[in-house]
Amino acid sequence: MASVYFLVLKRFIIFILLQGLIFNNFDFFGSFDPYIALVFILTFPIKINKITFLIASFCFGICLDLFSNSLGLNTAACLTAAFSRSYILSFVFGSFFDPLGLKLIKNYISNSSFSQKFLYLASIILIHHFVLFSLEAFSFEFFSLIIYKTFLTSLLTLTFCTTTIYIMIKNEK
Amino acid sequence: MQQIIDFIIRKKDVVVYLILLLFSLLLIINSNYFHKSKILLFSNSITNYTFDKFSFYNEYFELKKINSSLIDENLFLKSRLEKVSNNNNIDSLKNVIFKYKNAKVISNNLSSFKNHLIINKGADDGLKNEMGIINSTGIVGIINRTSKNYSSVMSILNIETKINAKVKRTSHFGTLEWDGLSNSYLLLNDISETADIKVGDSIITGGMSLIFPEGINIGVVSEVINKNKHNDSLLRLNTNNGKYLDIEFRENYLNIEVKLHTNMNNLNNVYVIESLNREEFKNISK
Repeated sequence: MASVYFLVLKRFIIFILLQGLIFNNFDFFGSFDPYIALVFILTFPIKINKITFLIASFCFGICLDLFSNSLGLNTAACLTAAFSRSYILSFVFGSFFDPLGLKLIKNYISNSSFSQKFLYLASIILIHHFVLFSLEAFSFEFFSLIIYKTFLTSLLTLTFCTTTIYIMIKNEK
Repeated sequence: MQQIIDFIIRKKDVVVYLILLLFSLLLIINSNYFHKSKILLFSNSITNYTFDKFSFYNEYFELKKINSSLIDENLFLKSRLEKVSNNNNIDSLKNVIFKYKNAKVISNNLSSFKNHLIINKGADDGLKNEMGIINSTGIVGIINRTSKNYSSVMSILNIETKINAKVKRTSHFGTLEWDGLSNSYLLLNDISETADIKVGDSIITGGMSLIFPEGINIGVVSEVINKNKHNDSLLRLNTNNGKYLDIEFRENYLNIEVKLHTNMNNLNNVYVIESLNREEFKNISK
């Protein structure tokens, strides 16, 4: 169990630094940054209980905010993504999902069909981005802009996150 | 009670999520200026609306007082008009520096250190920040925030307000400030000790900042305190060789207490002063 916490801590630091120092300055097509830090939430071990997961993602969001100078925005978004993850896991993987965490998140991703992988990644990314951008705009006046930005950034994040997770699984084998 | 605790334990991850979410929303609102002002504007628009509706009914009880004060003002203006019509200027437009607009106070606060009024005209009526507000008896405050239909006015009873004022008889300039205590007295600072100020002297606006025109009544001097007349500013030091060294702490400024003409408890009709030359004045005094 201690090694799991060590792994989480290692990913925590790596993804904060990756996102804060490199990916926040990408600015694709003007103002679209891929949120690669979401890999931390997507691949968080299921073995660790939910409350620890929520607190960990809260701290993760605060650290991200310190880098992007927008205290609270990423925190709320990461927290919501983390909260919705267990529901999405049971919804997407159905009977394959066991809440006790005997299976690793790696098994879910490598032993499932393409549509399941896509749905899992895309729904969490969409939830995160929607919360993030609507809190950033803070008004329904810009609803169409929020949706537009959510979809485009989600596409970008999805590509980067899929690649990163693929590399992580490859390296562990 | 048992059921509530059971419910919380059963749904503990939802509870933790909601608590953390609340905390992060508080972070957003407190640390990002944009979100804070958005929330403030929203809550202000609701309260202003209710104040507006309420003051509509409240006005009826004050009609008599308002009428009499309007008559007084009319008389005063008529006497002014006669003076003006006696010395006609050829280019009358050139002398117009200040424009007046009327507005109504819909909420008034006197209880805190930083008191604000709300008036029922806003950016749509051409009101901007740093416009002065007076009523028929004296000055009231300075606009510090405008929304579409309402403006927030920093009252003179606000410890952050500083107003340029002068003594009418001797023309000494000073700064009016509020000490946060009584709502009918202000303090006039920065007037030098040598000035001959007496109780009963009129205090008027100085006209240095173009927020208020020169010569609007503020109040009368009710007390002049010269701190140097008390002996407690003397300090006697005993030096080694049996001699004494006298040190005197002098304050070079008078403390003057001013009784306001304006009754801040009872404000209704006010006038907004728009200075037409303010932009020009600002540019040149940069």
